[in-house]
Amino acid sequence: MNPKRIPNQPLLKILQIPNSFWGSLFCKNIIGFFILFLSWAAFLPLSTAENTHPFRYGGKLVLTTTSDPKSFNEIIAKEVSTSEITAYLFEGLTRVNAVDLKVEPHLARSWKISPDGLTWIFHLRRDVKWFDGFQFNADDVVFTFNELIYNLNIPTSSRDIFTINGQTPKVEKIDDFTVKFTLQSKFAPFLWVMSQPILPKHKLEKTVTERKFNFTWGIDTDPREIIGTGPYKLAKYVPGQQIILERNPLYWRKSVDGDQLPYINKIIYLIVQSADVELLKFLEGSIDYYVLRGMDFSLLKPLEKNDDFTIYDMGPSSSSNFITFNLNPGINPKTNKPFVDPIKLSWFSKLEFRQAVAHVIDKQKIIEIVKNKLGYPQSSAMTEGAGFFNNTNVVQYDYDLTKAKELLQKAGFIDRNQDGILEDSQGHDIEFNLYTNADNTERVDIAAIIRHDLEKLGMKINFQPLEFNILVSKLNSTFEWEAIVLGLTGGVEPHFGRNVWASTGQLHLWYPKQTTPATSWEKRLDEIFDLGVQELDENKRKVFYDEFQAIVAEKLPLIYTVLSAKLSAVRNKFENLNPTNFGGVFHNLEEIYIKKEYR
Amino acid sequence: MTRNTEHVSEFQLALRSFKKNRLAVCCAMILFIFYAGAIFADFLSPYSYRNEDRNYSYCPPTPVRFFDEGKWVGPYIYGQTLTFNEFYRRVYQTDTTRRFPVRLFVQGDEYKLLGLIPSRLHLVGVQEGARLYLIGADSRGRDLWSRILYGAQISLSIGLIGVLISFSIGLIVGGVAGFYGGWIDNVLMRLCEMVMMVPGFYLLLALRAAVPDDFNSVQIYFAIVVILSFIGWAGLARIIRGMCLSLREREYVLAAKSLGLSDFKIILRHILPHTVSYSIAAVMLSIPGYILGESALSLIGLGIQDPYASWGNLLSDNMSIVRIKFAPWILWPGVFIFLTVISFNIIGDTLRDCLDPMMKAERK
Repeated sequence: MNPKRIPNQPLLKILQIPNSFWGSLFCKNIIGFFILFLSWAAFLPLSTAENTHPFRYGGKLVLTTTSDPKSFNEIIAKEVSTSEITAYLFEGLTRVNAVDLKVEPHLARSWKISPDGLTWIFHLRRDVKWFDGFQFNADDVVFTFNELIYNLNIPTSSRDIFTINGQTPKVEKIDDFTVKFTLQSKFAPFLWVMSQPILPKHKLEKTVTERKFNFTWGIDTDPREIIGTGPYKLAKYVPGQQIILERNPLYWRKSVDGDQLPYINKIIYLIVQSADVELLKFLEGSIDYYVLRGMDFSLLKPLEKNDDFTIYDMGPSSSSNFITFNLNPGINPKTNKPFVDPIKLSWFSKLEFRQAVAHVIDKQKIIEIVKNKLGYPQSSAMTEGAGFFNNTNVVQYDYDLTKAKELLQKAGFIDRNQDGILEDSQGHDIEFNLYTNADNTERVDIAAIIRHDLEKLGMKINFQPLEFNILVSKLNSTFEWEAIVLGLTGGVEPHFGRNVWASTGQLHLWYPKQTTPATSWEKRLDEIFDLGVQELDENKRKVFYDEFQAIVAEKLPLIYTVLSAKLSAVRNKFENLNPTNFGGVFHNLEEIYIKKEYR
Repeated sequence: MTRNTEHVSEFQLALRSFKKNRLAVCCAMILFIFYAGAIFADFLSPYSYRNEDRNYSYCPPTPVRFFDEGKWVGPYIYGQTLTFNEFYRRVYQTDTTRRFPVRLFVQGDEYKLLGLIPSRLHLVGVQEGARLYLIGADSRGRDLWSRILYGAQISLSIGLIGVLISFSIGLIVGGVAGFYGGWIDNVLMRLCEMVMMVPGFYLLLALRAAVPDDFNSVQIYFAIVVILSFIGWAGLARIIRGMCLSLREREYVLAAKSLGLSDFKIILRHILPHTVSYSIAAVMLSIPGYILGESALSLIGLGIQDPYASWGNLLSDNMSIVRIKFAPWILWPGVFIFLTVISFNIIGDTLRDCLDPMMKAERK
């Protein structure tokens, strides 16, 4: 008899009825015995004979997160706290190999592309099962695209990714395990975007027809109802406390030597209030992983040996910090006033002004003070972590206050009345507001250092850290700001930066959603992004994106500062770790197992 | 006339009994020193609050030496250079080749004493090439001691100005409500309750959110003072109103009324002075609330903004346990807040006890 098939839930319910009738101690003991027996039986099948390394199974990985997931609905998820969890549950047709950054088959076994680059045929794996045992097939893929992502009633950011020149690829089922995608124009990162997680048709079809999808799989859903194909399934979620993920015994992936993956039994996310609490928890040994900030390294590095953990340095992170000036000449339709004072706009629009600011950024000292010397200066829009597409050959601006002064002088910013503050040619004092988000203390420190040097040059700056939501509304809706220190997370695929760099982009911070490009270099950026996405030859693509990085460094719409070092401390209980810059420590989680003595 | 002289002697009596309480006198001295330090901060501090040197990030307190090879040479310090050790910990190497004497009355950063007299004179200092950190430096190499002195200007004055505003409002509202009674009393007291109903700190945050984003630092300072006073007046108004309710029945108030004095003058000259003994103690006890309120706002980044210093925003550096571990001197602002708050509280308590007999005498 296979103990897995025991219908343990109903059995317990039957036994509970007499218990509630008599409430006798004797009866409770019987139930206790049965529970004991059943739980013992349930653990038996884990070490199945077919695995070559049965002793690798079991154990748990304890992680932390500082905010609760807002939902378990992958399609409408916006926050990292949500996608961090759903990444375990759902999978896409392809995935990016975190080691060589190449796209590799995942739920799709293989694919073919037509010679004109417009038709892609994906052959799906036949051994993939949903958590509830249903077979994964082409219907699920077609459903995910046609009914969910292309459904205008569902607010999803995925739709923007698949909208290529205003049109979405046509998705058709050829047979149960073959899907055809027909594009209207060539799209270089198509395989990248095919890592879009696929959701189960049999579970969700009804919610779409009933128009309930947007409220489906919220945080109050019974964990067993959330069905994916991933290596882990949701077992329990206690808001504000913890999220428990359990090994998916039906997972399709096998290791090279035939082990049924994944090895680790449970992933536990403890929800904590702050990074300091995470640090304390790591020091007391109750969590397995901690992301280091600045000074933490000095605290943790000496403890490495005694406390049995290792600090991995994965190179520069891809989260940039930059200062940008509002170049938006638009007029607020509500108040009929310009978003930016036209006088100030004329300063910010001068290239010399932005170049002077770039020369004022003391990257070396910012790294020392804010990042505890564990950081990297940034000058290209694509960071080093982007690998192939990173262009290091761009204009560099060294910290040089005299050069900055000369540039300002050349542009007509001179202290004419000797009051210590620069004036423009019309005699207006150079004074502007500088904002940043208050919750990011490192960014506040960076802004304070830049501000100090700008004031040395004779500018008057009203520096104000704001709450993040207020800042976002200024950037997205009111457009009333003058200068901001902010960050964006970059990636490996340059085309995904299109919403920042194309003049029509939502995140084209300095002047978003332009109808026609305001400057010749913004026009060229638009061209580059349109041409780059149509070019399927990687090396030819790189030429385009190298030019884009050179333009950004020259014209300075965003003036970059520093990147932190990606440092993580991991307890020495794992085997098969292979940390990479792109994927971090646990990108190959399925293959990682826990050493016997730590289980 | 005789009554008047009696009053003075009663205050003298109270002062006498206050002087007997050594602890309270001690606290008064501490506060006197703090306020004097705040007023003359420019002169007493070796550096300006914004004088930063990024080569001295989290520099520990500079040891002041007096002897060189066993010989008295007067106070001096050595230059220091920042290095990072293998754990990326800041280690300062002392350069013993050159002595930098610590001098009194040296020329340094420019300032205006009391906001008027331009000067460059500082009480202590060393010449360029080394930096004197009496209790250590902050992350950007600014002298923490100087910043605490400058911070005192903001933190200590916020208490005084705030109390001045909120007590003026509280006394007038309480006096009017108590004197007139009836529907005026009703309206004013319900207003008080509405202010008191919202938990203080949340009211503080809500009001702070209403302050425009493009305020400069001076405007923010005044905005914070006004916000803090807005929260503080209601409690006092209620108590003053209670006292006025009984005071207005007194004979001398009736006499004043029959002499045709205006209501406002009666409240101001004949009623409110009798609440002074209570008010003085209450003022003393409520000042710490303002200081802590400002600190709390600045601590979470919504109060006084860098580069200006207040004890609260200096303390916000302590939000990270790692920083406290490697630069424990950043806890100093907390010590100053603690001493100030406890001094005000002890003085307030003592004053209340001293003034109490007088209140009893009045009730007779």
